[in-house]
Amino acid sequence: MLLGQISNGLVIGAMYALVAIGFTLVIGVLDKLNFAHPEVFMFGGVVGFVCAAYTSVWWAFPVAFVVGGLMGLLTEFISFRRFQSEDAKITAALSSLSLGLVLVDITHKVWGSEPVDLGLTSGVFKEGFTIAGVKFLWVQLIILAITFALMLALHLAVSRTSAGRRIRAVAESPANAALLGIDVRRVTQTVFFVSSALAAVAGLLLALRTGVANPEIGLTFGLKAVAIMAIGGMGDLRGAVIAGLLIGVLEALTFQFGLGRLGEMTVWVAMLIVLLWRRGGLFSGMHAGEQRV
Amino acid sequence: MTSVLEVRSLRKIFGGVKAIDGIDLDLFEGEILGIIGPNGAGKTALINTITGFYRATEGSIRFRGVDITALALHQIGRLGIARTFQNIRLFRRMTVLENVMVANKTFSVAPLRSVLSAWLPSGRRRAAVDEAMEFITLMGLAAKADHRADSLAYGEARRLEIARALAGRPQMLLLDEPAAGMNETETAQLVEDIRTARPRVKAIALIEHDMSLIRALSDRIVALDYGRKIADGVPESVLSHPDVRRAYLGDDEPATAGAAA
Amino acid sequence: MIADQLFFTGINLILAWSVYVVLLAGNLSFAQGAFMAIGCYASGVLTVKLGLPLVPAALAAAVLSAFLAMLIGWPALRVRGIYLIMVTIGVTFCVRVGLENFKFVGGVQGFGGMMGADLTTVMVAVTVIGAALWGLSISPLQRILDAVREDDRVAESLGINTAWVKLAAFAVGAAIAAVGGALYGHFMNFVRPDNFDILVSIYVVLYVILGGVNNMFGPVLGAAIMTLLPEYFRVLAEWRPTIFGLVIVVMLLFRPEGLLSFRVITAKLSQGTRR
Repeated sequence: MLLGQISNGLVIGAMYALVAIGFTLVIGVLDKLNFAHPEVFMFGGVVGFVCAAYTSVWWAFPVAFVVGGLMGLLTEFISFRRFQSEDAKITAALSSLSLGLVLVDITHKVWGSEPVDLGLTSGVFKEGFTIAGVKFLWVQLIILAITFALMLALHLAVSRTSAGRRIRAVAESPANAALLGIDVRRVTQTVFFVSSALAAVAGLLLALRTGVANPEIGLTFGLKAVAIMAIGGMGDLRGAVIAGLLIGVLEALTFQFGLGRLGEMTVWVAMLIVLLWRRGGLFSGMHAGEQRV
Repeated sequence: MTSVLEVRSLRKIFGGVKAIDGIDLDLFEGEILGIIGPNGAGKTALINTITGFYRATEGSIRFRGVDITALALHQIGRLGIARTFQNIRLFRRMTVLENVMVANKTFSVAPLRSVLSAWLPSGRRRAAVDEAMEFITLMGLAAKADHRADSLAYGEARRLEIARALAGRPQMLLLDEPAAGMNETETAQLVEDIRTARPRVKAIALIEHDMSLIRALSDRIVALDYGRKIADGVPESVLSHPDVRRAYLGDDEPATAGAAA
Repeated sequence: MIADQLFFTGINLILAWSVYVVLLAGNLSFAQGAFMAIGCYASGVLTVKLGLPLVPAALAAAVLSAFLAMLIGWPALRVRGIYLIMVTIGVTFCVRVGLENFKFVGGVQGFGGMMGADLTTVMVAVTVIGAALWGLSISPLQRILDAVREDDRVAESLGINTAWVKLAAFAVGAAIAAVGGALYGHFMNFVRPDNFDILVSIYVVLYVILGGVNNMFGPVLGAAIMTLLPEYFRVLAEWRPTIFGLVIVVMLLFRPEGLLSFRVITAKLSQGTRR
């Protein structure tokens, strides 16, 4: 069922892309890795669980967006603001990593270490339609629609609005942007808010697809987004999307064609191959290639 | 005169920017060559390309007969080219002594041997320390040998950079705007420091904006503008060359006003 | 009981040191869990299936790890440090998945039959590795590593082949982690691939960060604190990730160099070489 696998892969890939976009935004603007990102992604699923339990799971969308965004702001404040210098990259990565661990642990304590069922009963999540002998689920379409809408919105925001111009200026050169009067801190905060908000929504979408919120998903699913970012090109939004979709499909195909669990390695092997072939990834990012001095 | 450095038709292009746009240059044994030019003329790009920090887009660089155009940074360093940096790049959290000791090629070229030497009689280690102290004393920093590099005053930091460059026993020394940010006294001291360094190397190239330093030290001067060489010769002739004056002062030079109309 | 705790402290110390060695050259590796796994499984195969004694098996596993590290590190290190971080994460995942699918060593079910490691063995290993690191810290190579860490381009212009230095550090770190893994396996008798997952790699990095990144004693402190303290304070054991996570976050905010400051100690010690 090739078409079925490909569509499956595209859906997963879209979620990968959404998380990778967040990583790559922060890299583009700060040139640092935000390791709390995968856990914010995980938490989006938890938000889904909570909303499904107390109100309607559809409320989870705005709630996840906001909660994720706030977590992004918190991460920026704690793990990134202090560490501005060149060799602070590792410190920021480690600090955000530790924050991520705290988040996972708290999640374990409150909701347990096992995946929790969201209790999604609505037909939307279970049913679908069939085209050409392949079954598509409504939820898959919803995921694709939402992810593409978000990515389009982000693209338009970055390329058309003045806020987007400011982001691109800071990505190009924070020093120059500051000289031009751009509030670099405000831009950084916006980037963190948006990237984490998207991650949380992605986590929610995954929870809707699988029906469960899994506290471990950050380090498995979420961390792959790092590789996807590298494949797509650090700081390149379009690259993150394309790489995400490509890897999603590639993974689905590897799982399908007999390699079984080895498919887990796909994304990492792909990253290694891409890095060997083209150092900077597939695309060049929001700022052009650097000359190291 | 023996040629230490031969640069031919050198070009370095970044994206669309021609940082170096066809430069021919010679550096001869025993001389100090001054390199001047307005900001953006390509002086630092020139040093960076010669020393291997940038890869040349076109052209060739020969050092004592060896083609170094495509060599890696560390290979160029090992051949005997040393430099200082416009914005002072010391190993800030290391001490003065350590900064200089790292340059000692006995160890830097063969790191493995240096691990084993830890267990060798301390005579070997003492010799390394003594050698480093020699350069440190030469540059007047003996009192600060155990201080961290980032605790030094600006002038001292410059001297440390020079000491570190010399400690590698280079054949050629390239100084990138060493007088930047210095007052008159410090500059005068710097002239002395460079004169002290002179016998240690075969040739020195000195990039500078400060004309007093250039005049005091240079045997010859090369002037650059927009990535090209616009004058080359003894100081008197270069510094009064019309192209050089135009590059620094602009086109409204009273002497040429009549001709420009 | 106490012997067990000391054993694990020793293992964690060895692993922390393996991270430290890579950090010496300025690179952060999240692959030590993978090299630990390779060390454990490789030595295990040699002892269980081929009947070799523990020490040569462990050493052979260490050499294998170092070799693999050089293969992996070569493309990654020539680019930027950030890529090494990502590649090492990938390596950890790939090794684990690879082992789960490797029927020869039991796959997901695990691999057993290893024995022969106890507290004494670990103590010996710790002493040997510690002595080697000590020797390193008073040798010129320490300065070279410091320079590479501080400013690798300038270090390179002084004639240091920084690519080789970084690669060597990565390989030695892998070898040390492999020894830790070998000893771990031969104590536990039975291991499974998920004993060596990304969380292990993350934790050993955090031991070093907690104790201090800048000298060889930091990992001792970090490993000791994170292994022993939870045994004595229940709350630490239950909330280990949260407490340590927060401690590290706070620490990084106020003292990015860790609890111990290295330059002070090694600088004082190098006084002895002069005059």
